[in-house]
Amino acid sequence: MNPSIKLLLLFIIALEISFTTIISLNIALVILATLYLLWRRTSLKTLGWLLIVPLLPAIGLWSTQYINGTGDNAQMAWVLFTRIYAFVFTGATFTLTTDILELADALEQNWHLPAKFAYGVLAAYNLVPKIQHEVKVIRMAGLMRGQTLSFWSPKLYFKAILVSINWSQNLAQAMQSHGFVEDAPRTHYRHVPLRASDWSILVIGIGLLQIGAFAIPWR
Amino acid sequence: MATITLNNLTYTYPEASVPVLDHVNLTLPAHQFTLLTGPSGTGKSTLLRLMTGLIKLPADHGQITYDDQDLATLAATDRAGQVALMFQNPNQQFAMDTVQNELVFALENRQVDPQVMTNRINEALDFVGIRDLQDRQINHLSGGEKQKVALAVIVAMNSDVILLDEPFASVDPAARASLLRRLIKLRDDAGKTIILADHDLTDYETLVDQVVQINADRSLSSLPKPQWPHFFAAFSAQAASDHHWPLPKNAPNALFDLQQVQLQQGSFVLLQPTDLQFLDHRNTLITGPNGSGKSTLFEALVRLNPYTGQINYHGDNIQKLKAKRYARQIALLFQDAETQFLNITVAEELAQSQKYAYGDYFTTDRIQQALTQLNLAGRDEQVIYTLSEGQKKKLQILSMLIMQSPVLLMDEPLKGLDLKSVDALVTLLKTTQAATQQTLIIISHQLTGLTSLIDYHLRFDQHQLQYQEVAP
Repeated sequence: MNPSIKLLLLFIIALEISFTTIISLNIALVILATLYLLWRRTSLKTLGWLLIVPLLPAIGLWSTQYINGTGDNAQMAWVLFTRIYAFVFTGATFTLTTDILELADALEQNWHLPAKFAYGVLAAYNLVPKIQHEVKVIRMAGLMRGQTLSFWSPKLYFKAILVSINWSQNLAQAMQSHGFVEDAPRTHYRHVPLRASDWSILVIGIGLLQIGAFAIPWR
Repeated sequence: MATITLNNLTYTYPEASVPVLDHVNLTLPAHQFTLLTGPSGTGKSTLLRLMTGLIKLPADHGQITYDDQDLATLAATDRAGQVALMFQNPNQQFAMDTVQNELVFALENRQVDPQVMTNRINEALDFVGIRDLQDRQINHLSGGEKQKVALAVIVAMNSDVILLDEPFASVDPAARASLLRRLIKLRDDAGKTIILADHDLTDYETLVDQVVQINADRSLSSLPKPQWPHFFAAFSAQAASDHHWPLPKNAPNALFDLQQVQLQQGSFVLLQPTDLQFLDHRNTLITGPNGSGKSTLFEALVRLNPYTGQINYHGDNIQKLKAKRYARQIALLFQDAETQFLNITVAEELAQSQKYAYGDYFTTDRIQQALTQLNLAGRDEQVIYTLSEGQKKKLQILSMLIMQSPVLLMDEPLKGLDLKSVDALVTLLKTTQAATQQTLIIISHQLTGLTSLIDYHLRFDQHQLQYQEVAP
C-alpha cells in the first residue's frame, strides 16, 4: 500500500477517535490493527510490548477520569483507556510495517513535497540510533574529564545540539557533494505508485470508520 | 577534460583575521594527478572545498575556472558532473543508509535515466571492487570501506575532476594501495583530473604528475621535478621503520586481563574469544587493518560497547567497578577530536582538564610550554570548533594528557597531523611520561615518529589479537 495514503488514513482515524467517545470503536480498531500486524508477520513479542508499554499511562488516565471525572465517569474512563490502545496499535501498523525510505519517496513523488523536506525526514530518522550512542559517548567523555553529565545537565544538551548542528551541516555538504541541488529536477529510481486501490482503501476505510462511529455504536 | 586555473585566489574565514589562502595562482592541467602537500592547518581542505563550491568564494576574491568557465557562474546542477570531492572524514559524506541507496541518490541528483542506473551502479561497484558491500549499511562499514564507497559514488557520477582531501587518514595500507591503484586507472583510462591532498607522502613519487606545496606565505607553488627525489627521500627517511619489539611475559598483576573476550559488531564477529594481558607502565601499540575492530576494543575497555567474556582491571572485573571511579582511571582519546571537547574555547577546555586532573604535573607554566611546543599558543579565546583538524587533534591530546589518568587509550592520535606536529607531540608524550609513569595504549596506522615510544606491539587482524615483534 502507498505509505502516504496509509499515513493519511491513520491520521484521519486518530483525529476522529480523539473526538468520539465510543469504546466499541476503539476496541474494533485495536482488533483490526492486531490482525493487520499479525498478517504482516509482526512477532508476538512485539505485540506483547505494545500491550504492556501503554498500560501505565492508560491506567493513569483511567483512574484520573474515574476518580475525578464528572457525569458518566466510568464510561469516560474506559473510553480514555481504550483510546490510548487504539492510538498505539493503529500507530504501530504504520511504524512497524512501513519503510521510511518508501514514505520519503511517496512524499516526493506523489505529493510533490520538496526533495529537501523528504530527505530531511529520512536523514532525521536515520540519525536516531546515532544520537542515542552519541549521548552515551558524551556522558563518558564528561566522566573522563571529572564531570558527571546528568540527563538535565545543560552541557549534555549543548554538546548534543552542537553535534546535531554539525551533523546537519555535514549532511548538507554530503548531499551537495553527491550532486543534490535544492529545487532542481531529479529522476526517480524507485517508483512509488499511487494506485486506484490505494484510494479505494482510503475511501472504504473512512467509510467503515463512520459506520463504526455513527451507525452501530454499541456504547 | 578540465584544466583548472586558480586566479589570484584569496580566502579568509569569516571569523579569522588573516587569510588562509593569499593570492594563490596556479594551473592544474587536465588528465594529471596532482599531489597537494603542506603542514596541517595550512588550508588544503579549504582550497579543495572552494574548488568544489562547497564553500562559496566571495566576489572580488579571485577566480576558480574549469576550462575558462568560472565556477561561480557554473549552474549548480552541472557542478557535480564537473568536480567531485572525497572527504577526509569518511563518516561525513553520505546522506543515505545503505551503499545502494547512496549511489541511487547521487545518480537521481545527476538526473540519470533510471533505466541505466542499475548498470552504472554495478559498474562503479565492480570498478572499486566492492560489489559485496552493495546492500550493507554504511554505518557498519570500516573507514577504508567507506572511502571505497565514496570513490564508487564519484565513479558513478562520472565527474571530470576528482578532488581528495587526505582520503587515507583512517585507512589501512592495503585499502590505501587499492584506492591509489583505482585513481591511477581513472587518470589513465578515463582521463580524469585528480588532485589529492595528503601529508603522508609514501608511494606518491612514481604515481603523480605534479607536486604542489602550500607555502608559509599562504601561496601555492609547483615543485620542479628535479627536486622530487630529495623531497620524497626526506620524508621516507623519517618514515622508515624496521623496529623490533620484545614479546611481553605474563605478569601476575596485569593492567588489563582479558579472559575469553569476544567482540561483535551486530552479528559480525570482530574478535574470537581471546585471552590477553596489557602490562602496567608500558606503552602498547595496536596495529591492524581498518575495520578489524581496534576502536571497538577500546570502546569495550571503557565499557561503551558490549562484549562477552571478562575484562579485569588490576584484578577487578571492570563491569563491577563504579562508572565514575573507573572513568577516572581509564581515559579514552577518541578518534574524532570533537567528541572529546566539553567546552567552547581553547582556554576553557584546558582549564577543565587542569581543574579535574588526577595528578599535578601540568602546572599553568607547563601547559603554556606545551601549547608553544605544539604551536597552539595564543589561541586561548578561539572557539574550538573553528580550529583546523590538526589543531583540534593537538588540543585534544593535550587536554587528555593534563588529566593524568593512570591509563590513556589513544585511538589514532596522529590522525591528520604533519611530521612537525608528530615530532612535537611525541616529545611531549615522552617528557610527560618520564615524570608521571602513565600507561599508554595506542592504536595507530601511522608509525612514523612513534616507534621510539612503544614497548610492545599488538596485531589485530583476522579476528585475532596477538603480540608480535614487528609491525608490517
